[in-house]
Formats: sequence, structure tokens, C-alpha cells
Amino acid sequence: MKPVSLISVASYLPEKIVDNDFFKNESGLKTHSMFRGTKLRHHIGENETCTDMATIALTRLAEKININLQHDVDILMTNVTIPDIPFVGPGASIVGALKLKPKYVYDLQNGGCVSFIFMMELARAIINSTDAKNAVICNFQTAAGRILALPDNRKLPQSAIPGDGCGVAFLAADDSSPIEAIVTRTHGEYANDMRPIAPDGRKWWEPGVTAFNIDFNKSRLAAIVGRGNKLVPEVLNQAMTMANVTHKDIGALVTNQPNKFFLRNWRESVLIPEEKQVHTFDEHGNLFGAAIPICFERGIDTGVIKPGEKILLGGFSHAGDYTASAVIHWQKKARPSPA
Amino acid sequence: MTKNYDISTIPGLIRTENVELDEMQEMCMEMTHAVYPHDKIYGQFCSIEEYIDCPPEVVFDYLADTKNLGEWTYSTRDMKKTDCHNTMVFNDAIGGITDCYCKTIANKDAMTVDYHCAWDQGDHLWMIYLIRVIPAQLVFNKPGSVVLWTNCHHPFYDHNPFPEKAPKEREGWVGDAWNMFYAGHTIEMQNLKKILEFRYKRDICELQGKKAKS
Repeated sequence: MKPVSLISVASYLPEKIVDNDFFKNESGLKTHSMFRGTKLRHHIGENETCTDMATIALTRLAEKININLQHDVDILMTNVTIPDIPFVGPGASIVGALKLKPKYVYDLQNGGCVSFIFMMELARAIINSTDAKNAVICNFQTAAGRILALPDNRKLPQSAIPGDGCGVAFLAADDSSPIEAIVTRTHGEYANDMRPIAPDGRKWWEPGVTAFNIDFNKSRLAAIVGRGNKLVPEVLNQAMTMANVTHKDIGALVTNQPNKFFLRNWRESVLIPEEKQVHTFDEHGNLFGAAIPICFERGIDTGVIKPGEKILLGGFSHAGDYTASAVIHWQKKARPSPA
Repeated sequence: MTKNYDISTIPGLIRTENVELDEMQEMCMEMTHAVYPHDKIYGQFCSIEEYIDCPPEVVFDYLADTKNLGEWTYSTRDMKKTDCHNTMVFNDAIGGITDCYCKTIANKDAMTVDYHCAWDQGDHLWMIYLIRVIPAQLVFNKPGSVVLWTNCHHPFYDHNPFPEKAPKEREGWVGDAWNMFYAGHTIEMQNLKKILEFRYKRDICELQGKKAKS
């Protein structure tokens, strides 16, 4: 297999920042466990779209690594929590807005909080089976502003946990910063534990006046915690074994960030010290799939992710339907100059 | 105890009257890790458990008979009676030539079998193996037994209180191995399971054979 590298990441966080009072005031509760996790989060603007977010994030990405988006993107892949329109993801819209000329465009609906890793895996497969030489992958989390900020929903303390953001990455067919292992798994038995619910019980496409929310089947909380504690350490260890490394070789850990407990447990499970874990939970909340690229950029900016080190990625999505992990040998060597 | 004692005056109780379910859930999340250091689980207590496919009465009777320690344990052998009623003495090969005193206190109603033991002397039996047999029908809805086995980290494990009683040539102390008690006891529990399951299966086969002949 041709090596494929994670060349760079960039992000965009919506301008609107919401603090805990936004939810506290509506809920009428002064204290709640959900207010003790995250302090701030961003909410996508009312008229803001995934394409708007992508335009800013991809422009930043292009500036960082000096690429021409109009010529240098062979593959475009996206994953969105709440898309701009039903039926279709934002791929074509991003192509139009930025005048890209990719040969392959895919909007993925699976993978959720670990869709970044699923997209890396798919991009690597396409690069290895076609003449495509690079890929741009984009994660959008939009559910906080679009769903959880709705007047009905912001009364619920759990609405304080998610935050919006966009993380993008550029992958290329070289061995300068190679993906050394990818593990993805699908757990079909847990596929129905996250559902859209409305107080009046209607289907999400049926008309009504009450807001929809995302329900994580609270009665199964303990079971979902158990899944996260079991499944994620398994894939993290599997990816390290595949990459022929141990926890001692890992320079930094980046996972999705559903809550502070999973962040702690996943780190402890692979014996990685706290200072080597990158997350932005306090200021961004649960970024769903956008967490991994956004935190990866944060890790580079803060110096936690250092050139030459092996970076461990991982996590799980929704109520445990997908798990994934990867090892990247970050900036192993200088990029070859373009032919 | 005072009959109408107000339980709410005891500090630190977590009950539905004073802690909301949501807060309780958060505490549970906080306490639930994906992995635990060995010392956190086996530092103060060493509790192990196993299912044995053998009736609880048979398991209890086997455990309650002190001489069977010579079969299922790793290293206690050559049981002899002592002057003290009910106290036996074995040689424990883990200590080379080391006397291991043992008094078995069994309660058939509760199905508990406790071995009160000590190395080198039989006057203060501080090393106590607490074992309970439970009908698997009650807890697993199937025939057989569940065996629970706990040791507590008595301070004497850390410091031999009677060094003068130890054989001169012996260098180690039973408590040096506390960190391996989980592993050692698990191995011995497997011995117990294999012996009891083997004999029970054999007895059933013999019984069926006799029935077939008659």
C-alpha cells in the first residue's frame, strides 16, 4: 500500500460563544452536573452554513501549507452532524463555493464522532486505488446551535455539553507524515441507542411545533459508559499494536471529547500522562466529529504535538455504533517537493 | 441504639433524600474508570470468585475438611494434628520448610468456610481466608456453585510480628507476596474447580453406569 500522510489540519469555530448562563437561566437550575463540565461552547450562527465554515477553514488550511485549492484537491470528503439541507451533505456546495475541481466527492453520514478516522481510511483507500494524490476531509459539528440552542431544548441541562465547529485536514500520497495504522469497527447492536425525539412523539420529518432533540436513551447510560470504557481502549491498543508501538512511544493522544470522564478513562487506559492528552472540552464542549481535527490543530499550536512523534487518535461515536483509532507519525520527515 | 435516630445527621451519606439522581449519576461516572491500577483493587482486599459445576453442599463439605487443603492449594502439604484442638499444621512449601497453622471454622447454614492461619506459630491465627459458597441456582439460575474468597491485608503481612519463630534459614515472609495474592489465589481456585468438577462428573457417570446395569 502507498503511504498516505496527514499533512496539515485547520479549523474554524463560529463567532457566537455561549456560556453556561445561556442554559442555566432557561433551565431554572443553579447547579447541575452538566454545567460542571464545559464552561463555553460555540454555536453556529442562524444563517451560517457548512459551506461558510468550510470556506474559512479550508482557506486557512491552504495558507498553512501553500496549496492552491482550485488545483490541488483530488478528493473531497465531508461529515456533518446536522446538514444544511436534508438529503445531501455539503460536498457539492463546497466545490461550487471554492471552485474546487476534485475527481471524487463523498459526503459520509456514518462514523459520527470518529468520522475523521473513517474518512482518513477511505481517503487512503481511494488514493491507493486511483490516480488521486491527495484528499481534503472536513468535519462539521452544527447540532449545538441548530438543535440544542432551540428554546425548548436549551432548558435541558444536557444541551450545555455540545459545541459547534469545523475541522479540516489535508492528506497526501507521500510518507512525510504517514498514517501508520487505522482501525475502524462497526457495532451494529448499538445503532439504535441514539434517536431523534420530540415531546409529542412524532417522526423527525413530520410537522409539529415542539423542537426535536437527540436522545441518548438515559436508561442505558451505564451500558453506554461501559461500552466506551471497553471498546475505545480496545481499538486504541489495536492501532498501537498495528503500528508496532507501545504507549511509551506515543507523543500525544487526541480523541473525541464527549465528556471529561471518557477523556480521563481513555487516557488512563493507554497509560498516557495527562500532559500528553490534547482536548478543548472546557472551551468547546463536545465537538462530535470535529473534535479530532480541531484538537489536533490545538496540539500543534500548543507544542504538545511535536514533529517526529507518534500521535494516537481514537474514540467512539453516538452510543457506541462506531469505534476507530489511528496512529500518525507526525512530520516524520520533510515533504517531498512536488514533481 | 436510639430507636428514632435521625440518619440525616450523619455527614456524607448519599441517599435519594439529599442527593439528586443526576448528581448521583455524575458521582458514578467519576468513580467508573476504564482501567484500575492493581493496587487500587487488590491493595487492601483480595477478593476473587469462581463458578464451579458441582453442587454447593459438595463444595462446602470439601472446603470444610481441612485436610483437603493438601490437594487444592499450591503448597500446603503433610497435615498433622497439633496439641490445640481443631488446629492443624501443614508444611507450606512457599516458605521452604515452614509451619503453616490452620484452624477451619465452617458454618453449614451460612455455607461459609474460614481458614484462620499463620506461619510459624499457632497462637495468633491472623491470616484469615474467608470463603463463602453460594448455590448458583440463586445467582446464575443454573446448577452448581459460586465460590467467593476474600483475604484482608492484615498489617502482619507487612511486618512479621514473630520473627523469632521463623526458621533461621528462611529469607522470605508470606506477606512479601501480597501483590501476587490475586494471581496465586486464582490459580488455587482453578485447582479447586478442576478437582471438584472432575470428581463430580466422574461420580455422576458412575451413578449412571450403576443405574444402567441394575
